[in-house]
Amino acid sequence: MSGYLLEMKGIVKEFDGVRALNGIDIKIKPGECVGLCGENGAGKSTLMKVLSAVYPHGSWDGEILWQDQPLRAQSIRETEAAGIIIIHQELMLVPELSVTENIFLGNEITLPGGRMNYPAMNRRAEQMLAELKLTDVNVVLPVMNYGGGHQQLIEIAKALNKDAKLLILDEPSASLTSAEIAVLLEIIRGLKAKGVACVYISHKLDEVAAICDTIAVIRDGQHIATTPMAELDVNRIIAQMVGREMNQLYPKQDHELGEVIFEARNVTCYDVDKPERKRVDNVSFKVRKGEILGIAGLVGAGRTELVSALFGAYPGRCEAEVWLHGEKIDTGTPLKAIRAGFALVPEDRKQHGIVRDLNVGQNITLSVLDSFSKFTRIDGEAELAAVHQQIGRLGLKTASPFLPITSLSGGNQQKAVLSKMLLTKPQVLILDEPTRGVDVGAKYEIYKLMFELAKQGMAIIMVSSELAEVLGISDRVLVMGEGKLRGDFVNHELTQEILMTAALDQSH
Amino acid sequence: MNPLKIKQLFTQYKILALLFAIALIWAFFSWKTEGGFISPRNLSNLMRQMAITGILACGMVFVIIAGEIDLSVGSLLGLLGGVAAVLDVSHHLPLPLIIVLVLACGLVLGIFNGYLVAYAGIPSFIVGLGGMLAYRGIVLGVTDGTTVAPVSDQMIFLGQGYLTPAMGVGLGVVLFVLAGLLTWRQRASLALHSLPVAPLWRDGVKLAAIAVVLFAFVRTLNSYEGIPLPVLLLLVLLGGFSYMATQTVFGRRIYAVGSNMEATRLSGVNVRAVKLWIFGLMGLMCALAGLINTARLAAGSPSAGTAGELDVIAACFIGGTSMRGGSGTVYGALIGALVMASLDNGMSMLDVDSYWQMIVKGFILTLAVWGDVVTRSGRRG
Repeated sequence: MSGYLLEMKGIVKEFDGVRALNGIDIKIKPGECVGLCGENGAGKSTLMKVLSAVYPHGSWDGEILWQDQPLRAQSIRETEAAGIIIIHQELMLVPELSVTENIFLGNEITLPGGRMNYPAMNRRAEQMLAELKLTDVNVVLPVMNYGGGHQQLIEIAKALNKDAKLLILDEPSASLTSAEIAVLLEIIRGLKAKGVACVYISHKLDEVAAICDTIAVIRDGQHIATTPMAELDVNRIIAQMVGREMNQLYPKQDHELGEVIFEARNVTCYDVDKPERKRVDNVSFKVRKGEILGIAGLVGAGRTELVSALFGAYPGRCEAEVWLHGEKIDTGTPLKAIRAGFALVPEDRKQHGIVRDLNVGQNITLSVLDSFSKFTRIDGEAELAAVHQQIGRLGLKTASPFLPITSLSGGNQQKAVLSKMLLTKPQVLILDEPTRGVDVGAKYEIYKLMFELAKQGMAIIMVSSELAEVLGISDRVLVMGEGKLRGDFVNHELTQEILMTAALDQSH
Repeated sequence: MNPLKIKQLFTQYKILALLFAIALIWAFFSWKTEGGFISPRNLSNLMRQMAITGILACGMVFVIIAGEIDLSVGSLLGLLGGVAAVLDVSHHLPLPLIIVLVLACGLVLGIFNGYLVAYAGIPSFIVGLGGMLAYRGIVLGVTDGTTVAPVSDQMIFLGQGYLTPAMGVGLGVVLFVLAGLLTWRQRASLALHSLPVAPLWRDGVKLAAIAVVLFAFVRTLNSYEGIPLPVLLLLVLLGGFSYMATQTVFGRRIYAVGSNMEATRLSGVNVRAVKLWIFGLMGLMCALAGLINTARLAAGSPSAGTAGELDVIAACFIGGTSMRGGSGTVYGALIGALVMASLDNGMSMLDVDSYWQMIVKGFILTLAVWGDVVTRSGRRG
């Protein structure tokens, strides 16, 4: 016996040729709580999905030993049976079912004939929620009657109801109040005492420091360090998370900053499902001609919501005042925004960027099809000329513009989406995570293009979760947290630590 | 050839698989009816039967490509056909005026459906279901539940008229020249952009096949009464809508909306307007089909077009239109309509009980879509 409950050795996971995980090693003893830390997109969630067989054995390389036996699970059912229970970042409750039904989903207590034993289940559910100090919940009411914090605790109760040997908590405290968090941490301490191991993933590093025995840091899919918490403090964890060297990745070019051309005033966005909750809370900012403005922050800080609202693409209710060249303009729909001189390259390339059934060229010209048409007929030659020009300008690698867009790599798909929006000749270009899932070469070319566009006088707003990228590209950086503006920094002697500290700010 | 290669071939040229299926169906019925099925008289009849479903399929294919569905087309056909009959029989309006009025009604009702889907945000399935009931109710009210007859001779000509043999031959020649021109232009365009051009012999074979089919088509129909007017209309629609789908801004946007509506909206396309007009076109096609149907039956029947939407939707799916939207062709949908019409016609000739006809049609639809799913699955990312 090695004494370890779980050993993950050399885990490698690729998506379409992009390495999300590159040789991760994690060891966990019974009763140990491991904090898994890393920036957005570092690979934390991917690693946990490998462990819980959301990605089945065979779709990744490496080895998992569970109680010294190789674990080759094909489905989450098998890992749950072994005792690995995951609480996902996104809530996995069925809103229409009752609290009890959710807690016992897939694990029901039955009477002969398959009938649900409601009395027994309700009693057990009430007991479990009482342990979580959740006394104001009626277990027979639908889950949708309760708010995000309560739902999170119900989700945790559901996990505890299963016989867990290893509990994985992925951002469990995102929607909890500090009192609820204190209860949660107390519960985890109780579990540890019973010998249950935990993996705790959170951006709230003070919680991690309070509960974890060991900290494992991953960055860009690489295992950076595993250190006992006793030898660390929050600042040193941040240093490990971001500690990356600035090198020649950012082809910085000098560009002149002109006058302020764009201004957003009092942008407020309300949650689509819960209209009383603000996703963006009264944010205002300005951008100058030829300026690259970076917007940093953690997942859920409201950055994507902010830029969607400016472009008229936010799905819920929002208020935004947009000024261009000192004039107030209407950007209520993407069409109006584009006509006014805005362009948005969205965060989610597959859902909001590419059109799968159109070929590369057709994707590029989708935004400006009218300009190639005479009496509604598309002038194929003129269209193709524009496509070839864009392909050359962005260095888009495709054998032909007639190939399906899906045959291109992520980086080249991104260039196609970028081309599409540049053809509208925008004055303000909004890029939401422009280099997510893009390989290093294409990243470099996208950065180079951004500097050229800025030099020509375009105002560029870039949302990015990669702090190094924000620092490498931006003239100025806004930091957002929980829907609010947490900082506005000129990019001079700015460090990732300063940005991370602003983003993590717990002063509220 | 090994099975895998055959599968690849059919995936690449779905049209081949469909034509192969039609050949099988025709061969089977011809054998069973001892040649009666492929007699000029029956084929002429078959083509006219197919015209109604075909006209509706021309509109429906775009509705489905855009990711929607329209269940109201059968009832709308009944309503507009009924309106045409009433205007003709009770009000004795001249035919051109009737045509204009009915087309206008169709467009307005189609746009109304489109408004409910695109702007009011009601799922198209529900709008269609509601329309299916409501429009049928209006027909029953307008016609009092009785057949409106007799319609004027001009109107009957619309559904039962024929081109003269000489005009038929002329049409065949024009179509062949058009096919030749299009092939030549396509080759020139491919060569210009240094894309692989198919070997000359293959295009030659293709053109020869087109010539044989056109010759057989004109010859067969001429040896009965000539090319029926509804079939001519269908050919015109095929040409017009294929042009719209492949050459125009509106056509491109239909595919874009169906494939990824959100990305299309973010590219600055007014996706609601696109959907509105697709339903408008569908309404126009219902008007045309209603006119032809009334003319063909020489009467306005309150039950005309009942369950017609099912045949039309089946035709689109048999013709390779994707369930999830984003891809499909007009000619595919028309070939699908031909499959459905052939099954109806052949089984009626064989005196197959109508319940068996329904079972067979249901089976064929399921089989066709299964074939589509199997050949597609390899590409699933």
